[in-house]
Amino acid sequence: MLILQLLFIAGFIYGIRLMSSPKTAVKGNLLGALAMFGAVVVTLVSEGILTMPLLWAGLLVGSALGAWLAQKIMMIQMPQMVALLNGLGGGASALVALMVVYQDPTLTTFTWFTTGLAIVVGGVTLSGSLVAAGKLHGKLNQRPQHFRFHNLYLWGSGIVLLASLGALSFELGSVLVNSVLLLVVSLAFGVIFTIRVGGADMPITISLLNSLSGVAGSVAGFPLGNTLLVVVGAIVGASGLILTQIMCRAMNRSLWQILLGKTTVITKTPPQMVEISTPKVHGWEQSLRDAQKVAIIPGYGMALAQAQLQVKQLAEALQSQGKEVKFGIHPVAGRMPGHMNVLLAEVDVSYDQLYDLDQINEFLITADLAIIVGANDVVNPAAIELEGTPIYGMPIIRADQANQVIVCNYDTKPGYAGVDNTLYTMGKVSLLLGDAKDSLEKMLGVLAGKADTAPTEADEGLPAQLLSEAKRVVIVPGYGMALAQAQGQVKRLIELLQKRGVQVQIAVHPVAGRMPGHMNVLLAEVDVPYELMYEMDQINDEFADVDVVVVVGANDVINPAANTHEGTPIYGMPILHVDLARHVIVYNLDRSPGYAGVPNTLYDAPHCIFVAGDAASTLQSLVQSLSFAA
Amino acid sequence: MKELYLLIAFVAAGLLGYKLINEVPSLLHTPLMSGMNALSGITVVGALVTTAVSLTTGSKVVGFVAIVLAMINVVAGFLVTHRMLKMFRSEGGRS
Repeated sequence: MLILQLLFIAGFIYGIRLMSSPKTAVKGNLLGALAMFGAVVVTLVSEGILTMPLLWAGLLVGSALGAWLAQKIMMIQMPQMVALLNGLGGGASALVALMVVYQDPTLTTFTWFTTGLAIVVGGVTLSGSLVAAGKLHGKLNQRPQHFRFHNLYLWGSGIVLLASLGALSFELGSVLVNSVLLLVVSLAFGVIFTIRVGGADMPITISLLNSLSGVAGSVAGFPLGNTLLVVVGAIVGASGLILTQIMCRAMNRSLWQILLGKTTVITKTPPQMVEISTPKVHGWEQSLRDAQKVAIIPGYGMALAQAQLQVKQLAEALQSQGKEVKFGIHPVAGRMPGHMNVLLAEVDVSYDQLYDLDQINEFLITADLAIIVGANDVVNPAAIELEGTPIYGMPIIRADQANQVIVCNYDTKPGYAGVDNTLYTMGKVSLLLGDAKDSLEKMLGVLAGKADTAPTEADEGLPAQLLSEAKRVVIVPGYGMALAQAQGQVKRLIELLQKRGVQVQIAVHPVAGRMPGHMNVLLAEVDVPYELMYEMDQINDEFADVDVVVVVGANDVINPAANTHEGTPIYGMPILHVDLARHVIVYNLDRSPGYAGVPNTLYDAPHCIFVAGDAASTLQSLVQSLSFAA
Repeated sequence: MKELYLLIAFVAAGLLGYKLINEVPSLLHTPLMSGMNALSGITVVGALVTTAVSLTTGSKVVGFVAIVLAMINVVAGFLVTHRMLKMFRSEGGRS
């Protein structure tokens, strides 16, 4: 029996060794599968349980579900698939440990402890992974979610877990109470700790949960005295740990920061960056781009201008950049109760984005920006400040509380109450007068990066020209490529360049995307040969010899601020030194900062051309002009 | 005695795994993770053994669920890894 177990362990280990090269990796995986099959069969035979229908039912149902899942999943969904499987593995181990608690009368303190630990680690892995998968699948909000007293819950549940783990180990109190407590609290703990991890930190979280799913299995192997479980689980644990380390290093984060929730997207530009951006005009365009929490306050003017659709588009544009948008509806905005609600519902704004007076006022205290569309009296601070005016005492939406305010009204005349709006004269308020439709479209243009592209628009043919003269080109993909599903265009670009005898390489930053190796998988899917893909360390010294770097949806990982701007969140993070190349062409959706919240200083460099818009279509037109030139 | 032996096995496997996996290039990190998903399904062995000796209906149900979950991991993990690895091709053609 032990001999066979050792044989299977050797199979797993050799399988992993084969995974160290793409040429042999397929075989390695098959060898692992074979060893797993062997382990299951040998267990069934040696325990004399080959003929139990219940076991076979479980094996078959699980296999069928697994095969179905593996068939159905699309490559783009791989991060959530991995997260889900982490969770199921952890859950299975927790359940195994739970059964041990009730079945094995011969447990020692050590085995009680390991059993309890398996429940905890498995439970945390299960719920944490489900939250992570939900976030990656877009079912849960990708932004970090904070509960009130979040740390209190985290530490509180941690202490409860330690206490009941101790009680279980030393057989104090009821086994039932302790084990159920362990399971329930560890499930809660997993949710509390993952819910406040932001989308960009997912590579770290997934790797950590990957490790924990192995540790859970390994620890569950102790009370069972099963070497296979202990050894294989430990290998998986080590693997996840290595990936976690690599990801942390690549993002310049410590694991503690992630676990303690200090991963939040930076909402305010750090002081060092303010100095850099002050020479530029800090107009409403800047406030619009920088704001993270935005309140939109519609009024009757929106109805008059028939600007509902633009309002909705604005909200979507803001949300697509990860900003939080809430609509504030004053009870008397418009001409009938619920007027604004109807107009917005008509253009498919979902009602859970609409907030009433009290709710929106609470939000406005911390909001970065309030956008007023055709509302006047209902946002007039005179109702609070100017005693004796007709509107004094009327409850208003406190747009004046927001950090910045943009007003899209037709003019500055007083509203129906005839009271001048004191909001208009406040320093933080920008007035966009005229037809609200036009103003909103202007704002949409700013969000799409158009306001800044004026100089590059003149250079429309330049990227194609630069590329057709280049001898050596490096392509840098990022998560934006995945979002735009632009892999096919990247592949076409590579082919076209290669046909012209250009040397093409792809530089992959370790944390580009949502999980380790994300970019590699996406490019492999469209048949880009792996020899073209280079790791950061392999290629970073060579950028000075590169004629053109084409960036597709990558941002923080190429931001030179990581080297130059001390104090910014990404300072010290290793980046790809694309700025050393002769020319850089960036195909990103817009110029807004990446998840780290630090503006990309590369975009302003003289040798950088920025092409804004959906990468799939901007690259498509590049490919067309290139093939046309050929 | 058995406990000590298992502890040693745990530490040794962890170290060996650490060394082995450090050699996997970042190119293959995603298939590596899904492959590890499959391996963490090894817990199915534990689930089979404990379910076989379970007496109450409750623990039979728990055992059944554990087997199903672990087996999803094993099968989906290996299949998805296979699907991904087959996509990685060399310039000379399919690997």
